[in-house]
Amino acid sequence: MIRINSLSRRFGSFEAVKNVSLEVPAGSFLVLVGPSGCGKSTMLRMLAGLETPTGGTIEFNGKTVSDGDGNWTIEPAKRNAGLVFQSYALWPHMTVAGNVDWPLKVAGHGKQERAERVGEVLHLLGIENLGNRFPNEISGGQQQRVAIARMIAPRPGILLFDEPLSNLDAKLRVEMRSELLRIHRATRATSIYVTHDQVEAMTMASHVAVLNEGRVEQFGSPGELVAEPSSAFVATFVGTPPANLVDADLIPPGHPLRKGNRSGRLMFRPEDISVGSGPGPASIEMDFAEISPLAGRSMITGTKNGLRLTAVTDGDFRFSVGDKVHFLLPPEPAACFDDEGKRV
Amino acid sequence: MTSHTLWPRGLALAGRPGIAIKLAALGIVTLLVALPLLKILAFTFSDEATGTWHDVLFSRLSYNLFWGPLRNTMLLGFATAAGCVIVGGFLAWLVAMTDIPFRRTIGLMATLPFMIPSFATALAWGSLFRNSRVGGHVGFIEGLGFAVPDWLAWGMAPTLIVLIAHYYSLAFTVIVAALATVNSDLVEAAQLGGARRSRILAGIVLPVVLPAVVAAGSLTFASAVSNFAVPALLGLPVRMQTLATRLFGMIGIGQTARGYVLAILLILVSAVFLWLGNRMISGRRSYATMTGKGGRSKRFQLGASRYPLFAVAFVICFLTTIVPVVILFASSLAPSSSALFSGWNLHYWIGRSNADIAQGQPGIWHNPGILSATAITVGLGVAVAITTTAVGLLVAFVLARYRDSIIAAAINQLTLVPLLVPGIAFGAAYIALFGAGFGPVPALYGTFVLLVIAATAYLLPFSVQTGRAVIQQVSGELDESARMTGAGTLRRLAAITMPLAARGLASGALIVFVKIIRDLSLVVLLFTPAMPLLSVLAYRYASEGFPQFANAITVVVLVISIAATLLANRLQSKSQPWLKD
Repeated sequence: MIRINSLSRRFGSFEAVKNVSLEVPAGSFLVLVGPSGCGKSTMLRMLAGLETPTGGTIEFNGKTVSDGDGNWTIEPAKRNAGLVFQSYALWPHMTVAGNVDWPLKVAGHGKQERAERVGEVLHLLGIENLGNRFPNEISGGQQQRVAIARMIAPRPGILLFDEPLSNLDAKLRVEMRSELLRIHRATRATSIYVTHDQVEAMTMASHVAVLNEGRVEQFGSPGELVAEPSSAFVATFVGTPPANLVDADLIPPGHPLRKGNRSGRLMFRPEDISVGSGPGPASIEMDFAEISPLAGRSMITGTKNGLRLTAVTDGDFRFSVGDKVHFLLPPEPAACFDDEGKRV
Repeated sequence: MTSHTLWPRGLALAGRPGIAIKLAALGIVTLLVALPLLKILAFTFSDEATGTWHDVLFSRLSYNLFWGPLRNTMLLGFATAAGCVIVGGFLAWLVAMTDIPFRRTIGLMATLPFMIPSFATALAWGSLFRNSRVGGHVGFIEGLGFAVPDWLAWGMAPTLIVLIAHYYSLAFTVIVAALATVNSDLVEAAQLGGARRSRILAGIVLPVVLPAVVAAGSLTFASAVSNFAVPALLGLPVRMQTLATRLFGMIGIGQTARGYVLAILLILVSAVFLWLGNRMISGRRSYATMTGKGGRSKRFQLGASRYPLFAVAFVICFLTTIVPVVILFASSLAPSSSALFSGWNLHYWIGRSNADIAQGQPGIWHNPGILSATAITVGLGVAVAITTTAVGLLVAFVLARYRDSIIAAAINQLTLVPLLVPGIAFGAAYIALFGAGFGPVPALYGTFVLLVIAATAYLLPFSVQTGRAVIQQVSGELDESARMTGAGTLRRLAAITMPLAARGLASGALIVFVKIIRDLSLVVLLFTPAMPLLSVLAYRYASEGFPQFANAITVVVLVISIAATLLANRLQSKSQPWLKD
């Protein structure tokens, strides 16, 4: 179980993390997701014990490991946590096996035991034949596996990942996502994973915290985030493709929503929007931007004056640049937000 | 990253970690750099030196003392800077941007002249072009029966030529590094836009490398005005004085106060131009760093001028690297410098004393003065390599860890000061500080310790830079990932930091060793007969009319420094299993 209570971190006058509180049960897979500069890496470094909070506390399994109010933190090595760095931070002068072995050696395990454990984790990651290579002699994906093997070898109770897939190509990234989930299941350790990629968050997490400017915008399961976004920021950040937000005064005059005298911004899911064949009183005319096939359907995007609408719809469309697209909004929005972005 | 997180909790709670280490670093840097310079400045305003500033600047003597040497110094500085930028820039352009044949060879050769000490090049010039004006042996060219005019044998012209031949490689190194960052994408983008070759050069390449060209100019200017050996060997015999030789002369005849004033003025001349150069380019550097990984670089096609340009480049490199070394070597074997390539024997190397040759001086193998100078020189190189590495690491560590503190900022500024101070002026400052004892420190003049301290201070900017590179290489996530395992500071130092840093440190130490072995300007004032050094011995033999002994000693210096340089290069680039591409 991990409990974060009013956690804050200042750097001089800049507050990177502001009063964050959340709690996940043991064995969860928590993803901290947000745009760059939202404070997610600082959060992770505080969880790892590399950074002392300036306020609030962190508890692992009921035991306080960092106390920003008391200005102390338990050393990284004594918190039963392992970390995979974004750069992997493999020690370049040690072989793959050496990298995995050294932390065990530091922990004081015997030679025989170490050799067994190294073989075991290399096997778990499918890199048992790379033991004698140096980090620069293997590919990026293999380096990633070594970094994970090194982290799990001492059997930490908590696994921390700092954007571990950001250096990999798209295909490898998808493969490693499932690989990480497999490792998570195999070790049954609580995992905390930092990323700016909401697809990773949605596919891997049991719990997601969306961070923005040092605050938690919303905390919940991936399904909850998509179904009930609590702010305009979350609504446009999660989901593939993310939901559309339309200013109330841009609703076409012939649309039923015009009668309700709405204000603020209205959220429409791409799958609720359809594409009309020609102009109509209730449709929004936009410039065609792009179209792509998506699992047997078409994803069509149009832009106009900074507004961007995406519809996922059936049908065979032929558009080329310069064409107009006529989007038909559903009679009711999926959610409404006020001008500050709060859900109403 | 703040200091708190890097220390165990107890220490973090203890308040201000590392105040002791910060103060230690500040103390060392202050003692090494600030005190000598303050002392020399204070001395020139003390009662002992009353009227010295006036004598030097505004009296009947002042033309001879200062303004005349200043004129020569400035002339040498500007002309050397211009020559170096033209020659070095030309070679850099050929190597970095064109399809000239043997690019790598030229690129390597163009960096070599700087490794040959400038007094070696000057001695080689003398062996070729000496005429009978100042007596003694004539050089090779007069030996062949040609008359060498005075202007080519002595004074401004040969000094200037030798300075350019020595320092153009400095300009080359700076400019070629900048040209290498001109991504071929940049050039191709201009080509796609339809720009001609000359237009690309003027509109794209030059603006991008301009900061490097300015830097090369101000560096070579400062180096030329600081140089002592070349004007001393080629100008002094015909009374051509520069600030450096005048300073040397004043201290030599016991007029130390005037010498110190000249040292301060020399520092000002050198520093002002370095500062101006820096100012011109500051703020513009940013776009030189906008490089990603460019594709395979596409080179300018030189076409028909490919081989003529190659010939020019090769002749420049050949004359400034191989020719001086061959002349020195031949001269150390030939009985007379007027016949360099005949009658070779080993007298200057292993001969016993013979009254017919060189007034009975035995060859260097049997010459106790030279043998002990060799031992002391190598000892000094080793000692300084160790001290600079230690000080450089300590200072770099403090600078990296306590980046934001005022003390760190002060340390940082002080470590850069020696860059502005010519070696001979630094030597003068050290005599001023340590000539007599102060406080608990005894008088150190003439001791090995003084040489070590002065050299450590002189090389501080270099050693701190090496230390920073090493620390940067091994800190950050590599060290944090070791902390995550629970390894203590010492264990991380032994298992992670040292193995990764060792080669960088060793090659940095070797380069320091070489710099000291072949330095003349710093040690020429600190030298005493009880503490002889090879470079100073070579200079004294040459100025007392035994050029071939000087040449033989210089060959020894060259051999030691080339061996150490090769070893350093090998360490730096030797294929480490974990660094292979």
